[in-house]
Order: sequence, then structure tokens, then C-alpha cells
Amino acid sequence: MKRIMDEIEVRVREELFININPIQSGGRLTPEAMKALIAYGDGYSTCDWCKKPFRLDKIQRPPIDDFHAELARFLGMDQVRVIPGARRGFQAVVNSLVEQGDSVIVSSLAHYTEFLAVEAAGGLVKEVPLTTNNVVTAENTAQKIEEVKKETGALPKLIMIDHYDYMLGNEHDVCQIAKVARDYEIPFLYNGAYTIGVMPVNGKEIGADFLVGSGHKSFASPAPSGILATTKMWADKVFRTTQMAGDVTERRFGIKEVEMLGCTLMGANLIAMMASFPAVQERVKHWNEEIKKINYFAEEFLRIDGNKVLSEMPRKHCLTKVDTTGSFNKIAQTHKRRGFFFSDELKAKRIVGGFVGATRAWKLNTYGLTWDQVKYLAQALHDIARKYGINVA
Amino acid sequence: MTEKAVEQTFAALFALTDLRQIFRETKPAYEFDSEQKRRIMQIIENVRLCLETIEKEITK
Repeated sequence: MKRIMDEIEVRVREELFININPIQSGGRLTPEAMKALIAYGDGYSTCDWCKKPFRLDKIQRPPIDDFHAELARFLGMDQVRVIPGARRGFQAVVNSLVEQGDSVIVSSLAHYTEFLAVEAAGGLVKEVPLTTNNVVTAENTAQKIEEVKKETGALPKLIMIDHYDYMLGNEHDVCQIAKVARDYEIPFLYNGAYTIGVMPVNGKEIGADFLVGSGHKSFASPAPSGILATTKMWADKVFRTTQMAGDVTERRFGIKEVEMLGCTLMGANLIAMMASFPAVQERVKHWNEEIKKINYFAEEFLRIDGNKVLSEMPRKHCLTKVDTTGSFNKIAQTHKRRGFFFSDELKAKRIVGGFVGATRAWKLNTYGLTWDQVKYLAQALHDIARKYGINVA
Repeated sequence: MTEKAVEQTFAALFALTDLRQIFRETKPAYEFDSEQKRRIMQIIENVRLCLETIEKEITK
């Protein structure tokens, strides 16, 4: 295969293989986004027509200002900013709301970047325990709030919950949790890293004060890219503009937003997001079809003796954790390639993206695969099982 | 050379990007249906025309 230069190979994984990597599927680019990368790759490419008041979200050519307005409408929120990854959204909100020693409620399946955002602000994470089904409920959240109140004498300053978590792809009851947050008058951040851009999400209907999304996880966009949306009530706080002046020059940078560090997602990444947006608006309408595919796959997967699905069933999300300890891992015990035999077999069938060498618990994602590709994937696993004498029901 | 050569360079790159997308949709077997075959042939023809235009522009 051609190389871009000596040590940089062309990435052809998406053209040659079925990629089941759990976190890569929703970020695969649309052709429009690929074209945007070709045309807008130069550093400050979005700044050709930047005029007063000199801020990214105000640029009219290309229509970045309209994109912001349309994205806010799409998400059922009042204001939105594009950001370099969901983590910068957590950081902006936490920095705005949390002070030294404050508590922040997160899920027991929260992403590590939520922890880091809280730590950077001097806060303390307080995790809501999971039910036996590995989900976060409103009841458990309310109980955790009471515990924090009792322990610290103060209510948590923020509740951040993932709609679907990255570990199991399980659904957590964000609407009821948002209601609990409202009852306690605690702002609620909806983590939509695995939802915004793949399934319908409306912040007002959920009752969220903040929505955070990931462009490279779920919005068919390059990394890093993300979304932070909020309501009128919170916009002035999170998107507050600088008030500071230089002591020597007395310079001020009035319209620049402190938490955004001025302009955020410049260049090709933003234009690629914009280019993918029409396709994203369309594809969220077909989320149910994606769920049919993953449930079809799960049923076929479970026909292999010893296989288990560790995520909740039936599947409500395409990111799924499975367990093959009772099947492929048994083969790995005596195979000369140990656990690598499984990834070798998959690769030979042009399937990649699983954790190489893993034959116990591992994750996959079928989002965006065609029906033919999902059926091929299921058949490939059956074929590997049969090859090694594992029964397929 | 006029700006037409630059325009056609992007047109060719975009057409090949559409071809890339077809590869993504049909991997790993690449069994094209009649509509996909028609689109592929159209892309190849478009790219060929782009290259011819570029060549003409360069050798003017």
C-alpha cells in the first residue's frame, strides 16, 4: 500500500476491512467531510473571511454562524459552541460551576475525562452506584445526593451523567435523573458522547442544562471535535466573555469567551463537522434500524456455545460488550498464538477493530455497517467457531 | 494555465472520494449492484474528463 511518506502509511482500514472498533464507528467521516478535509486542511482556513467581531462562531463565510444556530435547534438548546472534544465541554462547565472542595455527581461508569475535569477545578467526584443491571437510575442518583448533603453539608454543584456509557453501552435514565436534578436545583449535564449525532437527542425534552457531544465519536467528524450546548439561563455563565485588561497595555479582548479560550475548533475539523451535518441530521432518523442490526448480531453471536453478551439485552445501543471466555478463550489456552489466534482469524476474514489478543471480555460496535456487512460479521464468527469445533446452535 | 485546472483538480479528488465511499460501503466483498457499478463508471469517466482538462490547460 502507498505511503504518505516513509513512516506514515495510508490508513485504508475503513476501505479494506469491516471495522468493529467500539469507539470509531460513529466518527467515520461522510464523503462530504472527507472533501472538507481536502479543501480546508490548511491551518487557519476558516479565517479567510473573519471580520469584526473576530470570533469563530460569528464567521459568515463559510456559514459557521448559521451552523451554530442550526446545531442549537437540532439539539433543542438555545446556544451551542463547537469544541475540541467532549472533554473540553466537561471542563468548561465544571470550571464555570465548581469551586475547590465542591462535589460533582457522576456515574459509576463515567468517562475518565469527567474525573479529570472535576479534579482540575478542585472538586470531588461522587459516583452514583449502579443497579444490579449496570445502570444508573434516578432513585440511586437522589440517594447519592442525600449522602453527599449529609456528608459535606452542601448539595453537589453539578450532576453529569452519560446517556449511554462507554463500558457497556447501557442506557441510563437521563430524563428521570434530570428531573431529580431539577427537584434539587442542581444543574444537569447530559453526556451525549455516544448519542449526539447517531440518535435523536433533544436537550429541552430531556430537561438538560448542558449537552456535551463528541464529533469524533458520534458526529462523523475528525478528532478532536465536540459540541457544548446550553440554555439561555446558563449561556452567560459558561460562555462568559473576558473582563480583564492588561496592566501595561490596558488591552481588552471583549468578545472572547473565557472558557472557550477565544476561538475553538478552527480549520478542517469544523468544516468537516459542518459538511457531515446534513447526513447526521438524516441518519439519526434511522437509529432504530441500527438497533435492529445490533440485536440481529447479538442473537447470532449468542448461537455460539459459551458466548455471552455482558451489556443489557435487548440492545438499545450498537456499542456492546461481549464475553467469549466460554468459547474462543478456551481455544486460546492451547493455540500456539494464544489469544492472538482470534484476531488473526478475524483479520483473515477482513474484520478488524476488536482488542487484539482479547478472547475474554471485549467490545464491538456495529453502527454504520450495512446489513450485508453485519450478516457477514455474524457469519464470520460462526465460521471461526465451527473451524475450532465450537458448537453453533 | 487558467484556474480551470485547479477547479478540475478538486473535481477529480472529490469524485475519487465518492469512489472511496463506495469501497467503504461494499467492503470486504466488493460485490457491486448495478447502481453502484453505474456510479463507479460515471466517477471514472468524470475523473478522466478532469484529467484531460488539466492536461490541456497545462500544455496550452
